Amino acid sequence: MTEIQAAAVSAINVEMTFGTFKAVKDASFELQNGKFLTILGPSGSGKTTLLRLIAGFLTPSSGEILINGRSVRAVAANKRSIGMVFQKLALFPHMTAAENVAFPLKMRRFDARTIPDRVAQYLKLVRLDGFENRRIHELSGGQQQRVAIARALVFEPDLLLLDEPLAALDRKLREEMQLEFRRIQKELGVTTINVTHDQREALVVSDQVIVMNDGEIQQNAAPTQMYRMPSNPFVANFIGVTNDLSGILTRVTSADATARFGNVELMGVHGGAVALEDGTPIKGAIRAEQIRIASAEQSMAGLDADFRGTVLDAIFEGERHVYEVEVPELGGETLKIIHHDRNDQSALEPGALVHIGWKNRDLQIFPAKQ
Amino acid sequence: MNRSPTQTIVFWSVAILCVVALSAPTLVVLGASFTAGNIIDFPPDGFSLKWYVAILGERDLQQAFLRSVIVACICVAVSVPTGTLAGIALSKYQVKWAGALQIYLLLPFTVPLIGSGIGLMLLFGELRILGSLWPIGIATAVINLPFMIWAVSSSAASLDPDLELAAQSCGAGPLQTFFNVTLPAVTPGVITGALLMFILSLNEFLVSLLLVDARIVTLPVQIYNSIRAIITPDLAAVSVVFIAVAALAIIILDRIVGLEVFLKSK
Repeated sequence: MTEIQAAAVSAINVEMTFGTFKAVKDASFELQNGKFLTILGPSGSGKTTLLRLIAGFLTPSSGEILINGRSVRAVAANKRSIGMVFQKLALFPHMTAAENVAFPLKMRRFDARTIPDRVAQYLKLVRLDGFENRRIHELSGGQQQRVAIARALVFEPDLLLLDEPLAALDRKLREEMQLEFRRIQKELGVTTINVTHDQREALVVSDQVIVMNDGEIQQNAAPTQMYRMPSNPFVANFIGVTNDLSGILTRVTSADATARFGNVELMGVHGGAVALEDGTPIKGAIRAEQIRIASAEQSMAGLDADFRGTVLDAIFEGERHVYEVEVPELGGETLKIIHHDRNDQSALEPGALVHIGWKNRDLQIFPAKQ
Repeated sequence: MNRSPTQTIVFWSVAILCVVALSAPTLVVLGASFTAGNIIDFPPDGFSLKWYVAILGERDLQQAFLRSVIVACICVAVSVPTGTLAGIALSKYQVKWAGALQIYLLLPFTVPLIGSGIGLMLLFGELRILGSLWPIGIATAVINLPFMIWAVSSSAASLDPDLELAAQSCGAGPLQTFFNVTLPAVTPGVITGALLMFILSLNEFLVSLLLVDARIVTLPVQIYNSIRAIITPDLAAVSVVFIAVAALAIIILDRIVGLEVFLKSK
């Protein structure tokens, strides 16, 4: 390799097979030094297996994992410079908070005289100064999280791995800890790989997101790109609330595509990654919040597509309304629409006649099957 | 909870009946030991501590008690390392033939004691080691090992399976992981098991009876021999001391690890 600085982590065609089950299929990616990567996917998608391969708890069936440009195939987990926060935290129950944090320093033979200072420094970093001598079961869920983070970071690892440590927390604490992870990661600049099934968390904390399904990497992109330009229907549906429309492609150019849905032809954009041909079945995907909705009397300016429909269901969620609208022109499809009620206090009732619309650039067109 | 009066009466009658039935033997022997008379009797004939004073002077009983304690200590020394390793292995690792192994380890428990006693007697006789105390310690360890394994494996089974991986990611090698993380984490189970083994071995009668000779009788056997000759209240007194030792062990257990750890054992 001629790179001046190798990627912090690279996976090259990594595969992991358990018996006949392929948990990870041909996974390749790179992560640059100091960046925060989230591997996002439903349970059983292979994301945790991929993390455990990187940690060294499993050895890939084939392919290579490089850390700082060197293959780690022959390096045991306890010889890698990797800190890890586990799903159930796996704190040592017979030790105090400080002893837990000191443990990796002792195991890694740090100078014994420096250990107490370093432990204190990292407990301070996670805002747990004053809790040194508490036993693990005497700490709250959030405090235990913080001990686990301090234990994973105290020896200044090259890489930090987070195995869904926030999954068990209630929503408020989870969102607080997401920001906490982000703060600490920025402060220390440690390269981090986070695994989660929470798409919001992935968007909030990451520089880079990998979506996995069925052991395969579906897309590897920055959060905003992942959100705006999903590379296939799975990603489009997994991130955000998305409406699926089935249609037949009628015309395609390098920039956009036109397809017939029900009685109408609609124009949308395609990623260009996969060849689309006229006459093939396609999937259209439009996000619920990118559809505008107004009562039948009001007008909506600046939209490319405009349909009439009937409200089937209206759900009030506080800061927004979620509507389900049946659209006869689209072959009777029902669309989910998220409406952020900025100024108008009017809520649409079920049965109301409405019109809905969107911009062509918000309609994503994918081949029906990959 | 709302109960009808009839329910309450039935509930309490059953409970009281059980408590009385379970504690009656202890209460009888306790009462009998304080008798002022010269024959063992319940209710006791007056109150005195003279039989407790009497056992202080009986070298046979004291030496038998000492031997029982030695046997129990040998039993603990043998069963704690074996049972701890077996318990951890069976509950935490994918051991080949784990099911069969578990049944095999529980086997001493399913064979009637008289059967294993005779088996051990023949075996030890063949090895020409009958007549010493340590084979009795080993015998009680073998027979009661399932209790040790249960105590440890129930403790190990409740551990987070990621605990050892966490130790690895902290930089600990396999041995360091075992001694610094796995073993301390199952310590409550080990303590529970050790105390149980101590009590069970201390109390073991049938197997000891078959393995001892006249020079090395253990306390339960000594008491049994005395009963066959003449029943005096000093036997009740020594039984009470015996019960007190076992109770003390239970109290220590509760103080150190809490009885619920043992009661939760599967």
